[in-house]
Amino acid sequence: MPADLKQQAQQAVELAKSAGAKDAWATTSQSRDVEFEYRDGALEKVKDTTSRSLAVQVYADGRYSTHQTTDLNPERLGGFVKEAVAITRALEPDEYREITAAELFANRPENDLDLVDGTVASLDREQRLEWCEALDVASRAHERVISATAGVYDGTQLSASASSNGFVGSQESTYCWFGSSVTLKDHGDKRAEDGFYAGGAHVADLPDAANVGRTALERTLSRLDSEKGPTVKTTMVVDARASASLLGRFLRPANARSVQQGRSFWAALVGEQAFSDKLTVIDDPLIKRGLASRHYDGEGISARALPIIENGVVKNIYVDTYYGRKGDMAPTTGTPSNRRIVLGDQSLQQLLGDVGEGVYVTSWLGGNADATTGDFSLGLRGHMIENGLVGRPVGEMNVTGNLRDLFGQLEMLGNDPYPYSTTLAPSLVFTDVDFSGA
Amino acid sequence: MTIKRREFLGRMAAGSAILTVPGFLTSCGIQQATAVADPTPENPFMSWFGVDQATVARVMSELTASGADAADLYFQHSRSNSLSLEDGIVSKASSNIQQGVGLRVVIGEQTGYAFTEDMTLPSMLAAARTASAIASGSRAVAPQAFAPKDMGGLYTTTVPWADVGIDQKLPVLKFIEEKAKALDPAVEKVSVFWNDGDERVMIATLDGNLITDHRPMTRATVLVTAKKGDEVQSGYSNIAAREEFGWYTEERLTRMVQEAVDRTMILFDARRPPAGEMPVILASGASGILLHEAIGHGMEADFNRKGVSIYSDMMGKKVAEPFVTVVDQASSPRERGSLNYDDEGNKAGRTVMVEDGILKSYLHDQISAKQYDLKPTGSGRRQSYKFAPMPRMTCTFMEDGPHTKEEIIAAVDHGIICETYTNGQVQIGAGDYTFYVKNGWLVEGGKVTAPIKDVNIIGNGPESLKRITMVANDARLDTGGWTCGKNGQSVPVSQGIPTVLVSNMTVGGENAS
Repeated sequence: MPADLKQQAQQAVELAKSAGAKDAWATTSQSRDVEFEYRDGALEKVKDTTSRSLAVQVYADGRYSTHQTTDLNPERLGGFVKEAVAITRALEPDEYREITAAELFANRPENDLDLVDGTVASLDREQRLEWCEALDVASRAHERVISATAGVYDGTQLSASASSNGFVGSQESTYCWFGSSVTLKDHGDKRAEDGFYAGGAHVADLPDAANVGRTALERTLSRLDSEKGPTVKTTMVVDARASASLLGRFLRPANARSVQQGRSFWAALVGEQAFSDKLTVIDDPLIKRGLASRHYDGEGISARALPIIENGVVKNIYVDTYYGRKGDMAPTTGTPSNRRIVLGDQSLQQLLGDVGEGVYVTSWLGGNADATTGDFSLGLRGHMIENGLVGRPVGEMNVTGNLRDLFGQLEMLGNDPYPYSTTLAPSLVFTDVDFSGA
Repeated sequence: MTIKRREFLGRMAAGSAILTVPGFLTSCGIQQATAVADPTPENPFMSWFGVDQATVARVMSELTASGADAADLYFQHSRSNSLSLEDGIVSKASSNIQQGVGLRVVIGEQTGYAFTEDMTLPSMLAAARTASAIASGSRAVAPQAFAPKDMGGLYTTTVPWADVGIDQKLPVLKFIEEKAKALDPAVEKVSVFWNDGDERVMIATLDGNLITDHRPMTRATVLVTAKKGDEVQSGYSNIAAREEFGWYTEERLTRMVQEAVDRTMILFDARRPPAGEMPVILASGASGILLHEAIGHGMEADFNRKGVSIYSDMMGKKVAEPFVTVVDQASSPRERGSLNYDDEGNKAGRTVMVEDGILKSYLHDQISAKQYDLKPTGSGRRQSYKFAPMPRMTCTFMEDGPHTKEEIIAAVDHGIICETYTNGQVQIGAGDYTFYVKNGWLVEGGKVTAPIKDVNIIGNGPESLKRITMVANDARLDTGGWTCGKNGQSVPVSQGIPTVLVSNMTVGGENAS
């Protein structure tokens, strides 16, 4: 298969060149995705699909455009590429639009990232049903359960890229995820809901399905009788799963495009002690079996570990080739991969014990942040921290502040990285945070 | 007229060539436009998708070989185009062609689904066999022929987007940029994003219906970054509709740009409100986000048939004051959320969810309608052929009430007005929902006093509905480019509301004591 995809990408580049493009980059991808969903003891949905697409980036007459299609009929492909070149010519010239310099393709890592598990392709209906049943039984084992949906999601993703200046590459990965969402009868008309999902590239790395179902049920049970928390300024402990999403939000404007366009609070922070000295974040595309591991990024830039923040000092931001050229920054990569966070040495229980009183956040609900100023306001669910222990469940609360300030107030990190996210974040402790509630 | 008899896929290429070449071919495109584009195609099988009726019947038969209560083939061809302007030049264009057929079998509450992008008979038959594996009964009776229904007329166009050249769009992006810069000298950077597209769907159902729909869509967005001293602020505005090129009048574009500049400049003076509970006034228009989150999702019948929505046991009960009526109306013409037919081939129309304060109807797809023994409300939607449909909102709004905006502001001693939003979210079971307010105002002593910014608001759906104590008479639909995400599928939606007062909500803010 990859040979076929590679050939198709190379062919698209040739077509673009012969239509008059100076340079071109093409990526072909193919995926097989299977989805089994089980609800309340019965199979509810089976989806089994194979999808292909071709994307072409065209550089012609100092101009640039990008085109994608799922119509891979060879008779129409020539017309598609020809048209892509014609569209490019109708735009305005831009001196910064150039294909990735070939030097950035050099030293592509060759280590085995171990992203393909051969057993995924041969998973059968019986195995998927067995997981569904185990998840279903475990996640419904309580008299308050109204409904639970268990799902198994697996597949294979293949892609190949080629460029007119010598890039050729292909990547393949498998995935297998499963878990449950649970709804419980709560007080009044309310229902408590939560869930838990686990997954990765290898079936062998998956936890026991029944345990995942139990975790989903336990997480939901802990939401029962949740009430609106207080309006208060206090310490915030964020669990590892919710930390991954908070860090993602924090790091989102740390890129050359946002900075060059004047829409990032990270502008001019490189080299500065901008955040708490407890914080170190490394973008690491070379983690074995990592959820976002790769040998090269979408522009062909060879993968390498990239320190983003070291002890609170900003070391790098994400720089792609176009905005790098335009904003006079050396390209790193425009696309985040796995983020490793240097861990603390305490467990979540120890952190809560240290904190004594505060709010323990287990998930977010909506909210947003202004990338330019860093101002944020997020809905949350969690528990009060009472005498160093997880106390009563609370919700219908917001936390409000500024992301730059917040990550200056990072006091402690846990030793419990969340494995089911591309951001391997531990529990985090922030001081003096504004909560609004009752 | 010859163009209509040509194979659609071939025509797309021809139309697109017009799009790409600004010169002599554009005039050809304008000639085409003298005919009304896309009447109900005489033969949509061939003219739109290059398949014949017998092939579709053959695939349907294979799809239902092991039984089916319902089944459909969802053919889709969509082409979207985008342009972006940054730093004064339009230097990036993108296009995306999505073509495929989704095949679905439904037995009771069970769904089997597959799709293929290769519309040859062997590929479609293979996908049909995959989807049919959910069933294990005896063969359903599949139709040999399909009866085409009239194409609806909610958003007919005279010029399809495929016939609008880049040379025509480029000056519009330039106009937006120049306008923004001219409106305030503090404006430093302007980005403009343009999207347009044509989508054709053909739905063949097990009961022998054949539905065709041509769904145009366009959206223009302007982002503004301004600087005063060392302080940088940015804001944006966008407009979207199932419209054609002529919709972008100078007046409409100027209004959008003015909004973006105003929203940005006010941020220099805006602050965070105090944290905590307070009365919240929702300005007319985009505040319809309240309805989308606080009640709309909770009324989607898939959540109710499973009993997981907080509204599951409230049908027929009083949920709000008698002056509160909430509607989901796909038949609103030319809106972003408008639909002639839903993605199961049912006529989309008007569903009154709350009438005079009483909970009246959920939003149904075929599966839930069957379970509740009701007619579908035409609410089955999907992102594309890659997905099975589920109940979704279209254009959701509240009808006018008995109060005025001025009365509402005068009634608030200490609270806020919410005016513009970036996003919202809801938990269907607990009913807790949020929306993020980008711009708003403090209200003190019945008067608007100071601008506020960047606060999340959180409430509980049924509680908030009960707390709507005043509804003004200035209802309007927002023309913003809203997209709703649910279970991994995104669909375009619209929302609207008159000015309303919610007597108590939790406002994110600072200086909590």
